Amino acid sequence: MDIALIHVFNALLYASVLFLIAGGLSLIYGVMRIVNLAHGNLYAFGAYVSAWIIGYLSTSVAVGEAGSGAPTWVLLALLPAGALAAAAAGALLEPTLLRPFYKRAEEYQLLVTFGLLMIIDDVIRFLWGPYPLSASVVFENFGSVTVGDTLYPTYNFLVIGVGALAAVFLWAFIYRTRFGVVLRATSQDMRMSAALGVNVNRVYVQAFTLGCFMAGLGGAIIVPSQSAVLGMGVDALILSFIVVVIGGLGSLEGALLGALIVGVVREAGITWFPEVELAVLYLMAAAVLLVRPAGLFGRA
Amino acid sequence: MSVLLETKAVVKQFGEFRAVDRVDFRVQEGEVLALIGSNGAGKTTLVNLISGLLTADEGHILFRGHDVTKQPVKERIRAGIARSFQLVNLFDQLSALDNVALAIFSRQGKTRRLLSLADADRPVWQEATDVLALFRLDAHARTLAGGLSQGERKLLDVAIAYALKPKLLFLDEPTSGVGTREKAPIMDTIVSVVRSEGISAAIIEHDMDVVFSYSDRIVAMHQGTILADGTPDQIRRDEKVLTTLIGTPEPPRPSQGGG
Repeated sequence: MDIALIHVFNALLYASVLFLIAGGLSLIYGVMRIVNLAHGNLYAFGAYVSAWIIGYLSTSVAVGEAGSGAPTWVLLALLPAGALAAAAAGALLEPTLLRPFYKRAEEYQLLVTFGLLMIIDDVIRFLWGPYPLSASVVFENFGSVTVGDTLYPTYNFLVIGVGALAAVFLWAFIYRTRFGVVLRATSQDMRMSAALGVNVNRVYVQAFTLGCFMAGLGGAIIVPSQSAVLGMGVDALILSFIVVVIGGLGSLEGALLGALIVGVVREAGITWFPEVELAVLYLMAAAVLLVRPAGLFGRA
Repeated sequence: MSVLLETKAVVKQFGEFRAVDRVDFRVQEGEVLALIGSNGAGKTTLVNLISGLLTADEGHILFRGHDVTKQPVKERIRAGIARSFQLVNLFDQLSALDNVALAIFSRQGKTRRLLSLADADRPVWQEATDVLALFRLDAHARTLAGGLSQGERKLLDVAIAYALKPKLLFLDEPTSGVGTREKAPIMDTIVSVVRSEGISAAIIEHDMDVVFSYSDRIVAMHQGTILADGTPDQIRRDEKVLTTLIGTPEPPRPSQGGG
């Protein structure tokens, strides 16, 4: 029973991070009709920035005391720095790099974002080198709780909480605010929104920034338990694609459901069929594509 | 009554074809006017010139005394010229309430604020709810626009234009594609809102019963020019209108209401 509970927690943990990444990817596609291949690397960028700041502050060098670094609450407060860095990158990239390509065929946008993927990869390698960057001090300081007879890291609950909060906030944001109305209208008919006086360029940069913020937040909250490593961006991108293929590209509800499905299947896979875990995920995506090509929540 | 809108010898040419040929057209404050004419007479082109979807080749358009001939659509909306669309153009995946709220947001021009608190927007949602109630759509506030009936979509279309708080509202065939029985309630609703708010309305309409019942004045267009301009009674007896537009020298049967 305890083991089952731990599997549930792990699945939720995984789903939380996946929702943040895939939700951002889906939001950007929903509004701008751009498949951002660099999205996974913005997640990685967020993870690296947070790990770097925490690694720097948690060592005695920075604080000047022997033996201990900044207290955990300070580190925790600085954790979202990675999300802000990814958002800033997004706010910079959309107007400069993506905007000139909206009127071109989709292939150009794919090429540009693929180029961006490789550039961010190299920027990370250049800034932080080839070795993993750890922020595990936060994870360790949180300690663990006992679930039945087993110890379970307390920090994981924080990640699940952040994922759940993000989902609630996003829902309220999209469906209950002024910006949400404008965003949904622009997503549905960009030209008509412009005719009504909506500044479409501004909506685009805001949506892209928000999407990148979500990816960066995913990276920032997971890095204390997993470290930032090269290649994490592409791994996340592939899993996000599975999530949005299952849930429906452009739908936040779909991203949430897809993330939960992938989280559960992945946890089950790691436990019972580790050899074919990824294959099962791909097969599920393929099955959804066969039955409902637009995804479970997708617009046809 | 003073003049709200005036076009002075406006011309719009499409290649060889003169869609609007030196038209002098006026709308008085607070009047409900019908624009009639066969297809290709230039009604929609004239409205497009006034609302800014097209730019006039020659002539001037004055709105409340200001020359708006070269202004873009957005500025004309701000100035108070709004129109509903002939092909009902709604955001189908937004609720009726959201559709109206969007118009209010764009009227306020504050869509730039990314994080406005919910409280700051409460008056907007209230206003949107009130607008829906005016158009008898309050029961459908949460319905996606795509799920409304054709008649309700027509009303929502006008409600959106109304939410832009216009001084002058163009209604492009507000009852086209709607069953005969639905026409009167739709027009009753629209015209009563327009009259109670003192908005001037110009209605493009093919249904002569609707035209004669609801308008104060009728402007008949033919081949890009104004053929006749007068009260419903004058138009009903106008020889030129009867022969060119209605195609028979017999006067049309008197309509109920009488305008």
